[in-house]
Amino acid sequence: MEAADLIQVLTPQQARRLRVIENLLRGKKTVSTLYWGQRYQLLPLIGLDKTLDRGALDAAAQSLVTGGLATLDEENDQLRLTPAGVIAAQRDYYQPQMADQWIQLDLMAARQRILLAVQVVSEYTHATRRYYPLTTDLVTRQAVRAWFQRVKSAQLGKQILHVLMHALEQLPEEVATVTTSLLTGYQHPGLTREQVAQAHQRTAWEVTLMQLDGLMQICQDARVTETPFTSLLRSLWQSPVTRSAQLTLAAVRQTGDLDQVAAQRRIKLSTVREHLLEAAIFLPLSDFPYGRILTLELCQLFDKNLTGAIDDWQYTNLPNDLQQQYDFFYFRLYAIWIEKGGALVDGRTNSEP
Amino acid sequence: MEELTASLKRVFGFEKFRTGQAETLHDLEAGQDVLAVLPTGAGKTLIYQLYGYRHPGCVLIVSPLLSLMNDQVDRMRMAGFRRVAAINSLTGRDERQAILRHLKDYQFLFMSPEMLSQPTMLSQLRRVNLSLLVIDEAHCIVQWGPDFRPEYLLLGAIREKLGMPRTLMLTATAGKTTRQEIAHQLRCQPQVVATSVDRPNIFLDVEGVGDGNEKQARLAELVGKLPGPGIVYFSSKQLASDMALWLQSQTGKIVAAYHAGLDSDSRFKIQQQYMAGQLDLICATSAFGMGVDKNDVRYVIHYHLPADMESYAQEIGRAGRDGDPSLAVLLYAPGDEQLPLMLGQANRPTAVTVHEYYARPEAFDDADPGVHLLVFYRNHGISEEAVSRLFTRRERERNRALAQMLSYVREPQCLRQNWLKAFDEHGVHSDKCCAPKAVALDLATLGLRQTTMATGTRNETAWRDQLRQLF
Ligand SMILES: [Zn+2]
Repeated sequence: MEAADLIQVLTPQQARRLRVIENLLRGKKTVSTLYWGQRYQLLPLIGLDKTLDRGALDAAAQSLVTGGLATLDEENDQLRLTPAGVIAAQRDYYQPQMADQWIQLDLMAARQRILLAVQVVSEYTHATRRYYPLTTDLVTRQAVRAWFQRVKSAQLGKQILHVLMHALEQLPEEVATVTTSLLTGYQHPGLTREQVAQAHQRTAWEVTLMQLDGLMQICQDARVTETPFTSLLRSLWQSPVTRSAQLTLAAVRQTGDLDQVAAQRRIKLSTVREHLLEAAIFLPLSDFPYGRILTLELCQLFDKNLTGAIDDWQYTNLPNDLQQQYDFFYFRLYAIWIEKGGALVDGRTNSEP
Repeated sequence: MEELTASLKRVFGFEKFRTGQAETLHDLEAGQDVLAVLPTGAGKTLIYQLYGYRHPGCVLIVSPLLSLMNDQVDRMRMAGFRRVAAINSLTGRDERQAILRHLKDYQFLFMSPEMLSQPTMLSQLRRVNLSLLVIDEAHCIVQWGPDFRPEYLLLGAIREKLGMPRTLMLTATAGKTTRQEIAHQLRCQPQVVATSVDRPNIFLDVEGVGDGNEKQARLAELVGKLPGPGIVYFSSKQLASDMALWLQSQTGKIVAAYHAGLDSDSRFKIQQQYMAGQLDLICATSAFGMGVDKNDVRYVIHYHLPADMESYAQEIGRAGRDGDPSLAVLLYAPGDEQLPLMLGQANRPTAVTVHEYYARPEAFDDADPGVHLLVFYRNHGISEEAVSRLFTRRERERNRALAQMLSYVREPQCLRQNWLKAFDEHGVHSDKCCAPKAVALDLATLGLRQTTMATGTRNETAWRDQLRQLF
């Protein structure tokens, strides 16, 4: 991400923390990162650049500030667009079309698998015996090798061609072109992100966003109908909620008592709470048992004491007795509930199960 | 045991060994450790591959460059060797665990010096029957710069801990001093197998320019006139990237940058594009070249002064492997020697710092690269005296290497003779030999031929057609 990309994930209304954006890209799934990622509506960025160094966005942020396009608070963390920044951000910039779907599977792993599979099949179709395979991790290599042994046939090249055509036809021409130029195969090393960016007058990050949309379409197609890629990608579809958080959530649904769940699952109460917040952040209102945790009394008390924009709420501004009674966890979960559309209607919560 | 040539035929399908291969294998099989100084492209890897094929147990290859290591593993898989693995900092935790669980099953194991110097790794390896220890790019033991790997200095001790396995040291270039230093560090008396470093088809040229601007202009002029493909070496990643863009706009040639700062996907694609003849020119740092299989490179230009004659020989050696006329140009502006001096000193702690560090190690911040080096040595039980001696020796060696490089730049008579002298060889000057600083380069007489470029890569082929071409 360079300055031209960073500006696209900022707004004039909401100050956004640079560390949160950085941690999202790096795939650090702490509750705080997830919560703010959700507040910024940037959760699809999660894990898209795991090799990003700490502080790697600082220079981009600084250049926005120097250019008068954004302001930074004293701690050098909260970024907000200036009016000049708003105008600068209005350039023709690629807006991902399928971002909400990205978190439904391990998209980074899917990318590795599809790219290697395309190369393997392309070389196979041309009967090449020796070539340099793309460098990937062991799991990807094994998955693609096993898949190839399973689906190998004289028709495979034609089938893959059809699948790719069909997926990319549904997308804008530029996305189809970019996705194709990045592929590696027979007598076609493929272009690097920078080369594609240069050719299309885009940033390297925009090229990545287009590629992810292109690949996501291939994944979606393989999900709804049986394509040669279906079995290659099957194990990668996953809920964004981690397995352990899902187990905690299931236990809470049954008992409703967090201490009991902690004892039963042999984890700390604080871990139970983190799991619940994680699940609440990712799941729609109706899929989370808010009524089991947020009592009517709690909602009424918080409703009375918390006014104004959600982002401005401060736990430490609550009356002392309320802080004594309710831990930070309840405050945060209440904010998520409100954010997801929870509300008090005629003295009752609208999400009662 | 079957004849070496029979194994060669069986495994690789070749009838004859190339120079140096058979001698090295004979010496190894006669129970000798060997230092093989063979030029790039001489087939050094074939030596340990064949040895591994002929002897039970595991061949452990220590390799300094991560990208190179993965290339090697891929090539070996391509060549049909299945039981091959690499462990380095890029290896994921799961993958590493999986490899360690099956350590005994591997026929070839590539490892970075960092990994090898970890005690747990060492103790695992001690249970493996090692048929051969290979130190690839062994000259790295004596190189001293920002990319210096202190772990290479532990290889002697590691070798002892592994029970002194038969050892093969490989390098493309090593003068007499370097050879002695490698043997000293690895605590062995190897048999040396070496061929001449001379490459008669590479015309040598040194050009003096007034300053940086003049140098840049001369570079654009050369790149514009010279038939490709070529390589220009820079000593900074940033400059390699910037100049790639600038040269492309100035000359209309297709240029790409290559350095260790690129992600692995880009490095892979640029190497492949270059090998496929889709690029006229690579602007590179020294990270580029090892593992690149390309015979028709017509010229290599150095924009900065290389650190020593060995690096220089290795880098210009990438030109003209097909034997056709090729060119090596070194651009020099007064004061250029300051850069390698600075790079060399940047990470080197002074004697005072060494002393103070050993007296109170807790008072130092080990994020500082110089201190980091000291932490490393101290943690490996190396005494203050030994470390001080090491640094003094390094500095002396480095200054000597730089002086030698400068003597090449200033050579009035014959560059080839000067070059070969650094490797204890003699050369003969001829009219197709060299143009020292005072002699102008006459491109017309060199007989460089334009290699036909693959076309169509950048012509925006419609994506549908591109897909059809893939399958
Ligand atoms: Zn000469």
